Amino acid sequence: MHSKREWAWGYLLIAPMALGLAVFYLWPIAQTLYLSMTESGVFGGYTWVGTANFADLFTDEEMYGALGNTLLYSVLVLAGVPLSIVVAALLNVPGLRGLSLYRTIYFLPVVTMPAAVGLTWRYLFNGDFGAINHILGTLGIDGPYWLGDPDFAIYAIAVVGIWSSIGYNAVLFLAGLQGIPRHYYEAAEIDGAGRLRQFFRITLPLLTPTTFFVVVITMINALQVFDLVYLMIDLKSPALEGSRTIVYLFFETGFVQNQRGLAAAIAVILLGLILVLTAIQFRLQKKWVHYE
Amino acid sequence: MSKPRTWPAHVFLAAGALVMLAPFAWQLVVSLQTLPDSLRMPPKFTPSWQWSNFADVFRSVPLARQFLNTVVVTAAVTAGQLLLCSLAAFAFARLRFPGRGALFLLFLAVLMVPAELFLIPRYEIMQGLGWLNSLQALIAPGVFGAFGTFMLRQFFLSLPRELDEAASIDGANPLQIYWHILLPLVRPGLLALGMLTVMWSWSSLLWPLVVNTDPEMMTLSAGLASLRGQFLTNFPILFAGSVVASLPVIVLFVVMQRQLIAGIAFTGSKG
Amino acid sequence: MRFRLPLACLASLTVMTAGCSSASQPEASGKATISYAIWDKNDQASAEKIIAAFQQTNPNVTVKLEITPWDQYWTKLQTAASGGAAPDVFWMNSLNVRMYAKGGIITPIEESKVQGLPPAVVDGYRYDGKLYGLPHNVSIPALWYDKKLFDAAGVAYPTADWTWDDVKAAAKKLTDPSKKQFGILAHMWDQGAFYPTMLQAGGHVLSQDGKKSGFDDPASIQGLEYWTGMIKDQVGPVAEVYTDTDPITLFQSGKYGMLYGGVWFAPTFWANPEVRERIDVAPLPKGPGKEAVILLGLANAVSAKSEHPKESAAFAEFVASEQAQRILSDSGGGALSLRDGTQEGWFKAFPSFHLKETYDASMPYGVPYPVSLNTAQWQDVQNKLLAEAWAGKRPVAEVAKEIATQMNEILAKE
Repeated sequence: MHSKREWAWGYLLIAPMALGLAVFYLWPIAQTLYLSMTESGVFGGYTWVGTANFADLFTDEEMYGALGNTLLYSVLVLAGVPLSIVVAALLNVPGLRGLSLYRTIYFLPVVTMPAAVGLTWRYLFNGDFGAINHILGTLGIDGPYWLGDPDFAIYAIAVVGIWSSIGYNAVLFLAGLQGIPRHYYEAAEIDGAGRLRQFFRITLPLLTPTTFFVVVITMINALQVFDLVYLMIDLKSPALEGSRTIVYLFFETGFVQNQRGLAAAIAVILLGLILVLTAIQFRLQKKWVHYE
Repeated sequence: MSKPRTWPAHVFLAAGALVMLAPFAWQLVVSLQTLPDSLRMPPKFTPSWQWSNFADVFRSVPLARQFLNTVVVTAAVTAGQLLLCSLAAFAFARLRFPGRGALFLLFLAVLMVPAELFLIPRYEIMQGLGWLNSLQALIAPGVFGAFGTFMLRQFFLSLPRELDEAASIDGANPLQIYWHILLPLVRPGLLALGMLTVMWSWSSLLWPLVVNTDPEMMTLSAGLASLRGQFLTNFPILFAGSVVASLPVIVLFVVMQRQLIAGIAFTGSKG
Repeated sequence: MRFRLPLACLASLTVMTAGCSSASQPEASGKATISYAIWDKNDQASAEKIIAAFQQTNPNVTVKLEITPWDQYWTKLQTAASGGAAPDVFWMNSLNVRMYAKGGIITPIEESKVQGLPPAVVDGYRYDGKLYGLPHNVSIPALWYDKKLFDAAGVAYPTADWTWDDVKAAAKKLTDPSKKQFGILAHMWDQGAFYPTMLQAGGHVLSQDGKKSGFDDPASIQGLEYWTGMIKDQVGPVAEVYTDTDPITLFQSGKYGMLYGGVWFAPTFWANPEVRERIDVAPLPKGPGKEAVILLGLANAVSAKSEHPKESAAFAEFVASEQAQRILSDSGGGALSLRDGTQEGWFKAFPSFHLKETYDASMPYGVPYPVSLNTAQWQDVQNKLLAEAWAGKRPVAEVAKEIATQMNEILAKE
């Protein structure tokens, strides 16, 4: 094939996607950066305000609250990652029957829309009529108003976040586990290492590349949590103070209060946060991730 | 290697499975209770066969219409993604042209940016086009995706070069090679991407919530959110809506889970 | 087909205003189509009937009904108004009317059109000496009670003569901790609960000229303490309960004796046959100061940019007319008609509820809902700080004074 013709074909086939990405991704990025430097009028129009939005946000209690809530949520959800490793390791037990049934069940929350998941758990966590407090009650524990109290709300939401991502992460870990060559275990077996020892000495270290990947995407997703919070905490709830996340604040500012310029600035801060935290993760990986 | 016992694993997995399933079962039960029954303490664990909850949901929101919207949008987005991503992926994997590497990097860079950054400008694009409250507003941005391009490129790369070369000698142009020879071979990749896209598109909330405010044009996700606005904490009715909204994807998943799980496992191995 | 549409539009993106949407159809001379935006699905049926009646007498005008849920209504309206494309006629509330009037989005309405409508509702729509909305319904706060609990505790049902003390005494008798049963729901709600009690104690929310906060008035504080006292005395559930479950939902569970609610809850309660039988409604109880019932009414506003200003104004006027108000009433939907003497149909839709008595006893004491230019801003302060008092974290008096200080700052900037 003539190279000129190949060029033309290459550009032609890429054109639709490239054009779409330019219009719906690249242009919006540039536009959001610009809007973050403007203030929007009540009935439209933007005025240039330079870095005033950022200055406002850096002194805004709600912004710091949202930042703190989002980071706390992310840490909590990350703390749930080991659960997925355990589930994957159990599913990987040789000769286990019913693997596909278990996998299906653990995966159900993943394919259920977060809006429905949020509503269900809102009821389960209900202080007066919820099943969770009922169960705690039979154990003699007086459960709090999980979603009505700013001190508890984010923990309750994080539980749901973990519940709905265990299946997804377990599938990733399972793939990682199945990629570990059997001969490592055979060697350990000959050395007389028990199953638990094998798990900590062989499985965990060799799984670290997958763990690293799961940690990074879990963090990125957690930093952008919105759906669950939106369905579980109302716009006027006093618990919002303790559960408002960055994206919730973004939505509230941009599409409830219609302050688009300020909302754009919040989005830019979120981008910065994600880039910085991801960069740190990549830095740290050298210390604990074992690539073969 | 000795045959290990599997029952300890079963104990733990079954306990976990119960935690996974219980909320669904409970939701189903409450969707068939009366409001006062749903507010009993200790809870009433049996349905009171209040089928009218479902009728109430269909009466107060255009749920059937929203269902159709969601199906149309999901189908269009998925078909669009598969076609456009595979075209671009094929070009990136198989054709040589100047700037290919740089362009591909640009595609990858888009993957790093959180979706909220696109939201306001996209909204204004739709407003400018007069597309607020339309299905195309939900479809248009959804058919383009850097992730799918990246994913399918890996699949194309794994196919032997000899295939295209042989076809090329026979006089096939790149489009013919793509369509007739390589596309059928990346079927597993297409199915995996397809399932992922269906799942994402069906559940997505934030964009539909802001761009389509007319109940007739909402998807189920946004419809559920607005049902909450209307029925406050009338859980039986909210759950009736939830059941209707989430059931189809659950069924699809049970049928197609192999493909979806392959897609997710792929993101882990190549990420 | 999927791609042709978006791709064709991408070309026109540079000219953002052009786009692919089909321009509105040119209409034959004399024919006009106007849009009418509302947010309450419960009012759809009556709105359709009113439109039909209007079109019968105005055959050249077609009215297109648009329903947008409350959650999205204002965002959508603001966006549309920014683009100069607000609906011709749309629902307005007294909280937002000043912003739209000031922004030149809506057009003033002639004073003569509101003759015969209660001033307490009409006055909420004045800005800068002009009227910007034509009210068509009224929401009256009232006291709902659970007859079953009253009977069980041997307490007489509330009457129009009830005072705060009667409520407190009844609440005490109705409360039974062993059954997790409470006398009253003490949720933090402005229009139907703490605003009326602030006024009933002789206090005020906002000064007459709208320049000063009334939260630091000792009488106002007394009105607020009426509520926090219920929680403190444990005759009403604690503040978190109401965020977990909406008071309307809670009341239907049959564990709460009284609910400060609104007459407009009637259709919701009536929908449940079991609930319908055991509850009833009475006027708001009287306080130690004066009698006051805060009325809110929705109005229709007319877009200043409407292409058919005459037809739009005529339609808004028609919705408030006697004929349309009767249609609204007879439909038995969520809203109570505003024009006096047209409510019979609505009362009859819920025969066992004492709605007529409540209406008759409340309207003479109707006062407008307090608003200024930036109401939402100081209400935000008010709600955040009051939540601390409701949660029992800070004393009411302290919180109320802080609200007054912050509110005065906001009002000074108006």
